[in-house]
Amino acid sequence: MPVKDQQKPPPKAKAPIEDHKRHADEVLADEAYKVKPATLNTGNDEAKP
Amino acid sequence: MVYRPPFIRQGDGSRCQWSNCNCAAHAMAAMRHRLGVDPKNVHGWPPKPAEIRNRVSPTHCGGSDLEENHNAVLHLYGVDLLVRYNIPMATFRSLIISGRGAVVPIWYGVIPAKYDASPGFTGGHGIYVNERRASDGAYLVYDPLADHRRASIPQGPQWWPASLLQKAAETFPGTRAGCVHASFTRDTEV
Repeated sequence: MPVKDQQKPPPKAKAPIEDHKRHADEVLADEAYKVKPATLNTGNDEAKP
Repeated sequence: MVYRPPFIRQGDGSRCQWSNCNCAAHAMAAMRHRLGVDPKNVHGWPPKPAEIRNRVSPTHCGGSDLEENHNAVLHLYGVDLLVRYNIPMATFRSLIISGRGAVVPIWYGVIPAKYDASPGFTGGHGIYVNERRASDGAYLVYDPLADHRRASIPQGPQWWPASLLQKAAETFPGTRAGCVHASFTRDTEV
């Protein structure tokens, strides 16, 4: 898990919206979350009609 | 109030319809991203799963992933989603609360009957999440299969408990426990 998330826990659900936006911006800028896992499923499967 | 895109079903009779969950989910995300506003380019509007599918794989069907669909909606509608992997669920919550919608890959085998829009289907699936309800923490989920084509099948967006969304997302193969992969729209609540 990226260090940044361990150091800065996400705000509580009832925190001011600005806290959520700040946390969201930090996470979105973090390169660690841009790395596609090698084991990731290639996509969806065919559903049943 | 958060903008709610119209529900777009994948079972629309078009090519690859039963494999078009991610295409339909991205069509709804594109609507949210643009707040329903037509980019007025050479492509169609509103977004259609078939148009996205034709961009993703014009000659064959089968599964499609977040990156493929992101590239398609960027080309077709100028919608630049943010694809992120293994986001902790608590952080995903912040991203939704702060004004973004998201396409999320899930594993359909864990979906209970109340929300099951494809009985017997237990594979990988794509849904669109529009918002979170503060009173109970539930998420408004647009399952592209929830078209009420039979009486037992849910119709349109449904409020899923947060615990169900987390279970379905983290069960998707290649996902860390407590995490979610997602393509996020822009923050439309600025």
